[in-house]
Amino acid sequence: MSEAQRTPFVESLLEAAAQAQLPGSGIGWLDAARRENLEAFAAAGLPDTRMEAWKYTALRALGQRRFEPGDAQAATRAVDDATYALPGVDGPALVFVNGVFRADLSRIDSLPAGLSLLPLSHALNGDAEPLRFALSRHYREGGDAFARLNAALAGDGVVLRVAAGAKVAQAVHLVMIGAAAESDLAWHVRHIVELGEDAELSLVEHHVASGEQQHLGTQVADVVLRKGAQLRHVTLQNSSAGGTLVRHNSVQLDEDAQASLYVLELGGALVRHDLHATLAGDRARMETRGVFVLNGRQHVDTQMALRHQALNTASDSIWRGVADQRSRGVFRGAIVVAPGADGSDASLSSKNLLLSGQAEIDTKPELEIYADEVKAAHGATVGQLDERSLFYLRSRGIPLTEARAILTAAFCRAVFESLDNDALREHLDQQLMAHLPSA
Amino acid sequence: MTTETTDRSDTPATLRDNAEVAAALGRRYEAGFVTDIETDYLPAGLSEDIVRQLSALKKEPEWMTEWRLKAYRHWLTMPMPDWAKLKLAPIDYQSISYYAAPKSAPKSLDEVDPKLLETYDKLGVPLHERAKLAGVAVDAVFDSVSVGTTFRKELAEAGVIFCSMSEAIREHPELVQKYLGSVVPTGDNFFAALNSAVFSDGSFVFVPKGVRCPMELSTYFRINAINTGQFERTLIVCEDDAYVSYLEGCTAPMRDENQLHAAVVELVALERAQIKYSTVQNWYPGDENGVGGIYNFVTKRGDCRGNDSKISWTQVETGSAITWKYPSCVLRGDRSVGEFYSVALTHHRQQADTGTKMIHIGKGTKSKIVSKGISAGRSNNSYRGLVKVEKGAEGARNYTQCDSLLIGKKCGAHTFPYMEVKNPTAIVEHEATTSKISDDQMFYCRSRGIGEEDAVSMIVDGFCKQVFRELPMEFAVEAKKLLEVSLEGAVG
Repeated sequence: MSEAQRTPFVESLLEAAAQAQLPGSGIGWLDAARRENLEAFAAAGLPDTRMEAWKYTALRALGQRRFEPGDAQAATRAVDDATYALPGVDGPALVFVNGVFRADLSRIDSLPAGLSLLPLSHALNGDAEPLRFALSRHYREGGDAFARLNAALAGDGVVLRVAAGAKVAQAVHLVMIGAAAESDLAWHVRHIVELGEDAELSLVEHHVASGEQQHLGTQVADVVLRKGAQLRHVTLQNSSAGGTLVRHNSVQLDEDAQASLYVLELGGALVRHDLHATLAGDRARMETRGVFVLNGRQHVDTQMALRHQALNTASDSIWRGVADQRSRGVFRGAIVVAPGADGSDASLSSKNLLLSGQAEIDTKPELEIYADEVKAAHGATVGQLDERSLFYLRSRGIPLTEARAILTAAFCRAVFESLDNDALREHLDQQLMAHLPSA
Repeated sequence: MTTETTDRSDTPATLRDNAEVAAALGRRYEAGFVTDIETDYLPAGLSEDIVRQLSALKKEPEWMTEWRLKAYRHWLTMPMPDWAKLKLAPIDYQSISYYAAPKSAPKSLDEVDPKLLETYDKLGVPLHERAKLAGVAVDAVFDSVSVGTTFRKELAEAGVIFCSMSEAIREHPELVQKYLGSVVPTGDNFFAALNSAVFSDGSFVFVPKGVRCPMELSTYFRINAINTGQFERTLIVCEDDAYVSYLEGCTAPMRDENQLHAAVVELVALERAQIKYSTVQNWYPGDENGVGGIYNFVTKRGDCRGNDSKISWTQVETGSAITWKYPSCVLRGDRSVGEFYSVALTHHRQQADTGTKMIHIGKGTKSKIVSKGISAGRSNNSYRGLVKVEKGAEGARNYTQCDSLLIGKKCGAHTFPYMEVKNPTAIVEHEATTSKISDDQMFYCRSRGIGEEDAVSMIVDGFCKQVFRELPMEFAVEAKKLLEVSLEGAVG
């Protein structure tokens, strides 16, 4: 892309990069990685819909917008802690307001044994070498514009490590708050999470809004589970109705590692979630559960790719979508079984409810299989509530709107059934119910 | 699209597999002979002059020449698509000869070069006798021109027009002008544009109002000459309440070069009309190392224009080095029905990226997709399908079932279904599974004294049954035999 063709979006972010005072600058490899990712972003700009991974998400409107580099007042903005309090989640917490770490809102003073948790900005001031592998990554895929941007501009985030054998009982709460500001901001967070051998962790990733705003948030997270580690990762995305949020999460599972992921997408105007998981060690197991409930003109795009790379690995995915009014829900769930990954067992279900004539659902479950000792299946549906079930409820005196609400809730709630934090599960169900139409 | 190699380090087990596969001779391609007859070529290369020359050679009217030129000019502006999951060497469009015809132009079937007839005999398409016995009317396309259409008279009595495309352009220009390019426009895609510019022949079927075509119509395609491409164009129009069943078969001789086959098939079904289109595709697939073979890049689309119309595609794809096609249905009429039944088998280094598109536009439209993919050797077999429900398609219904069977450890089976739904009363369902022939199944058959290859072919036959029973009987028998031959050496 020549200079003349640069969109306002790319221009404003390049200006931001020129002014940015990022923590860790001066570290040679980090500067180089930031520079190269920025150059790649500047050269390619935003992907268009001709690119397969962005087929259903047009970024033309975003490309015409400008974002201010960062929030100078982020450290002092008043945020009510009720906006992000979650029942059942009272362990250590790290809070970021517009991408900036807020020590005053966080709880990291008395950490349980084996847990190391600190903001990236602090980690970079100490010994940055352990972060080198994650932070010197170059994003080479054409569609990785936001990951490049994040790699170039992220100044904060979480560095979380659980020592081998440590079992952290309390859930760790990561809060990303988009707070109302004087102008539209772009903020970026970068998380690095590592669970040592046989470690256990429960993590809650939480995106919320404080006041109305139309910021752009980007997040890149690398999660690694060493041999035998177990992770439960819950994401509650309830960001500002006008906001744009792009998340790029990678998970790697070594031998015997187990991960359960729960995702509830409620907020945001334009939301994109890339989830890449690699079952890299033998007998690794992964469970993903997700729901999106959309209305207004929301556009939520989830792109999940699970790669089975070792022997006897298993993955099980259940995703539900509800689209009402003029919203659009996009889901891609790809399962790749690499050559030699015998004994893989993969299943995926994507079921969607389309509630309005102006809404749209695009779903694309994929299988890419290169091994023959494999069990792989996927199913996808788009439709509406079952007429017979509605009839059944109505014949028992339940009014139509209520019957619809009951069935819609039941359609989505199955997803969180296996979540073993009761208080949190109930909270997610409530949030879900509150977002469902005509409840 | 990413393309990955499927190579793995050889374990002792795979070494043994290889040895036995090699010992089993790979596949025998029975249609791989060359017929030695004199052929008229156009020089290799493509330009406006070639398009004009081709049009002149075929004594086409002015409007047809212009139509071709328009398509050619459009083609020049188009890039070759690259989104399929295929590994494909660049094609040099200037090295292909776009026209090859047997030198002695036949006046009637009895004047057809006996050698040509022999070729068809070897292929099992005797134009005279067996066609009559079987009651199948055959239009045979040899390289680029149609060499004769049987059963002309019987069909004419019913009012059905079944002739070569060249003849249709001369004899029925009003029909051709009305329908040609109305389903697949000249600029629809790269290969359709190329075909529109240089198509040499093909079949034309017109079934008038209320007529049920008294016999199954059939076309046999064969690429014989070296360094040629085959670009045939088929157009089938069924007027109100008409019905036709159409069969298509394809073969080519064995050669080391890749040959391009870029056909376009257009189907038009008016009110309450039904078209059933069956294909058994057995182009030369290349040898076991992936040398040679046909590139089969075909655009097939049916347009259910009338209410209550129905178009059904059935395909058995065992040949071609690369198959890249998506027979589609545009369900425009209310309550129209689209069906797609497919068996795609790949072996050795064959690649297939095939599937269908069902575009629901009318109210109460229904579609059903049943796809069975079988991969063996080092082949890659992808199903790619689109089900799209537009806003106005109240009560649209789709059911898709897509199963893959893997035979061996070095092949790949992939599924890429796209579902785009814009109407809340629509129901769209997709299911897919991937499996291999289980040891239990094999053990069961073997313990009852069934040989290994027979057991495999029995199991594969069962796997494909849902599709085979959609085929007309003669084709079902051929399809079964083809699978058996194609799978030879796949197990060991």
